[in-house]
Amino acid sequence: MNRRDFLGGASASVLASGMLPLLAQDREKNVSPDDTFSVGVIGPGSRGQELIRQLLRIRGVRIAAVCDIYEPRFAEVDQLAGSPVPRYKDYRHMLERKDLDAIVVATPLYLHAEHVNAALNSGRAVYGEKSMGFTPEDSLSILRTVSETGKIFQVGHQYRYAPWFQDAVQRVRDLQIGKVTQIVAYWNRNADWRRPVPEPKDERLINWRLYREYSGGLLTELGSHHIDVANWVLGEQPIDVIGVGSIAVYHDGREVDDNVQVIFGYSEGRRMTFTSMTSNSLMGEQLWIYGTSGSLQLTLEDATFYYEPRPIHAVNPHSEMMQHGVTTGASFRAQGEMPYRGPGTRLATASGDDPTLVACRSFVDCVRGKKQPLADVQIGYAAAIAAACANRSIQSGRKEIIPPAPAAG
Amino acid sequence: MPVVQTLKRLLALCLLLANGGPSDYACASEPKRAAPAAQVFLETHTAMGTIFSIYLYAPTEREAHTVAQAAFDEVDRVEELLSNYRPSSELSRINREAALGPVVTDRETFAFVATSIGWSARTNGAFDITVGRLMKAWGFFRANGHVPSAAELAEAGRQMGWQKVILNSQERSVRFAADNVELDPGGIGKGYVVDRMVEMLRVEHVTSALISAGSSTIYAIGAPPGKRGWKVQIPDPEDHQRPISTVVLRDTSLSTSACTEKYFVLDGHRYCHIMNPHTLKPVEDMVQTTAIHPSATASDALSASLFVLGPEASLHLLKGMPEASALLLAGHGRVEHCTSVRWSDPEGGDVCHRTATKRNRKVEP
Ligand SMILES: NC(=O)c1ccc[n+]([C@@H]2O[C@H](COP(=O)([O-])OP(=O)(O)OC[C@H]3O[C@@H](n4cnc5c(N)ncnc54)[C@H](O)[C@@H]3O)[C@@H](O)[C@H]2O)c1
Repeated sequence: MNRRDFLGGASASVLASGMLPLLAQDREKNVSPDDTFSVGVIGPGSRGQELIRQLLRIRGVRIAAVCDIYEPRFAEVDQLAGSPVPRYKDYRHMLERKDLDAIVVATPLYLHAEHVNAALNSGRAVYGEKSMGFTPEDSLSILRTVSETGKIFQVGHQYRYAPWFQDAVQRVRDLQIGKVTQIVAYWNRNADWRRPVPEPKDERLINWRLYREYSGGLLTELGSHHIDVANWVLGEQPIDVIGVGSIAVYHDGREVDDNVQVIFGYSEGRRMTFTSMTSNSLMGEQLWIYGTSGSLQLTLEDATFYYEPRPIHAVNPHSEMMQHGVTTGASFRAQGEMPYRGPGTRLATASGDDPTLVACRSFVDCVRGKKQPLADVQIGYAAAIAAACANRSIQSGRKEIIPPAPAAG
Repeated sequence: MPVVQTLKRLLALCLLLANGGPSDYACASEPKRAAPAAQVFLETHTAMGTIFSIYLYAPTEREAHTVAQAAFDEVDRVEELLSNYRPSSELSRINREAALGPVVTDRETFAFVATSIGWSARTNGAFDITVGRLMKAWGFFRANGHVPSAAELAEAGRQMGWQKVILNSQERSVRFAADNVELDPGGIGKGYVVDRMVEMLRVEHVTSALISAGSSTIYAIGAPPGKRGWKVQIPDPEDHQRPISTVVLRDTSLSTSACTEKYFVLDGHRYCHIMNPHTLKPVEDMVQTTAIHPSATASDALSASLFVLGPEASLHLLKGMPEASALLLAGHGRVEHCTSVRWSDPEGGDVCHRTATKRNRKVEP
């Protein structure tokens, strides 16, 4: 690998994938001013509002309807949109509207399948948040509905759209760090994962992610992103999983573990380890891809390559050393005795746009142009089913086999 | 495991010969090395807090790599024996237990400690393997230099001194005559490991190689094809553009001691990491010493000894060592005196004379 390859900006693979951020005016010059794109949002909570914010940065997009069962959300959405947005308490009434081009589903996990399936069946394209489905059955049902309705579905794995992820993963798939057999991912925080609850009766509505009835805990909320990256790098979904978890710090009535350690098995003995804790933030969020000739560190901000020392090389007989000799000197180094890893080579991928914005823009483009999205239902299935089976393994204490997606058709 | 690796290599060679050779008995005889080495390869390895490198002539990269690995395995083995950074090393065990009573150790470790103590006796304590306590007092072990108080220095003085290391060769034991004595292989360990590497490479029939332990100890095996030996440049501490001398080494070693890599500056004063065990202070009046000796253990210990002894006492020591040569650059920060002993520079002439008149001095005892 030549260092200039890195510094020369985006790799050919990124250019070829068409994901290089183009100037907004170029990208949108074919969009006529009255070519409006009307979006209805189910569950405009924290993530739903972030998606609204990003969607409003795309020419022609209009937030035409929102549905929530928590009253304060409506005012928050009006504030974001700058004008009153028609509101619904029951998604079925919202889906009866005839003017919506697409539906965003950002409700708590246990509702994803119900909301996504209903929206697809109403004839709309859907942007559904991850994890795609709560139970294996949920994910399977979404897979079936997409295939039956033929409607566009994009899953909220926005890192598939991050330029530095695309560039780095392509380099890994081009064997630049050799054969990859191990992936180790950390998603650590030092916070109780609770949200403030103004009225005690709303505890389970607001802190839904802490209760097993609604949430798969750290695995579905954080792990599914890393599982998706591992699936991407290894080119398949995992075959089996074994995991453990516990509540070690936050004995506050929550039901989901505050730390988990899970190992996914892929073909040919390849493995991905996901570990997450909420009581120490040192490792933060990072994913390491280990190959036989190098390593890649992926984070929410960047990608850095490290190469295994390749200590032997031929010496040019006309080199400085062979002509003039080696130079002696004091060599006492104060450094420790850890194997030399070097500073690493950070990818200089042309970036700038938030991956969620790129993902939203790509979704709108796909719906307008009737194209299949990159983060499609298969990708959503592979990550969701793995996260669900990992939770089953934690509960059963046994290794769980992860069912593959049924053959299409 | 070097032995296992060597066996594996022999086995591989045997299989090769057995399959392609004319006789099924090929394994019975010593496998022959390929004819003249064609290419030079460089391989490096990190150990003992520094980088070891080997320049090696071999017919193929594969063969060079196999042989170099055997030498680096030897470095790792010795590090596990002598590292005072590793609690698991044999030297660390001696450091923990020898104040409580005699610690019986293996032959190699005992011989290493005995050789080190021998250098102390020979240099009147200028070289001292117990100097680690003093370096710690000056903050050199964990890289936070400070000037110790008189009390701290007195304390360090009580915990060091080569005479406090009592050896019993009959039972191969080491005992410390005071609490908190600590053996620190810093001034001799790299030379020792280079000698072990040379041994290993010679066993592997290497006839042309240059070994460097972080550039401070260098050993030349044979010479590059068609050359008299391997060139080594001794830097001029005041002029990085050109070396002060270039020597040609063949089947011998060279070691350099200097303050250029490890020191700390406090109130404008530069404190060197090389300690004078008699004053309990860093050496102040030496800039760089280089010693050449057929044994790398000896050249390493010798360059450190000369650094502490200073020119006069060094000349006396070198008189009794006809196989050694040396180049000493003395002065306070700047080079004020140059002393060379049996120093032969192929560029000819007197190295000290050529370098600068004000540093001119040459003695041939
Ligand atoms: N892609 C990402 O990076 C990312 C980041 C954060 C969250 N998420 C996902 O987004 C989803 C929502 O997470 P969040 O943090 O925004 O949670 P949230 O609790 O802030 O938002 C969920 C919203 O859904 C509403 N809701 C609950 N039940 C409803 C129902 N029956 N009908 C309509 N609305 C209902 C809630 O009142 C709330 O406003 C989760 O699946 C989460 O995993 C994805």
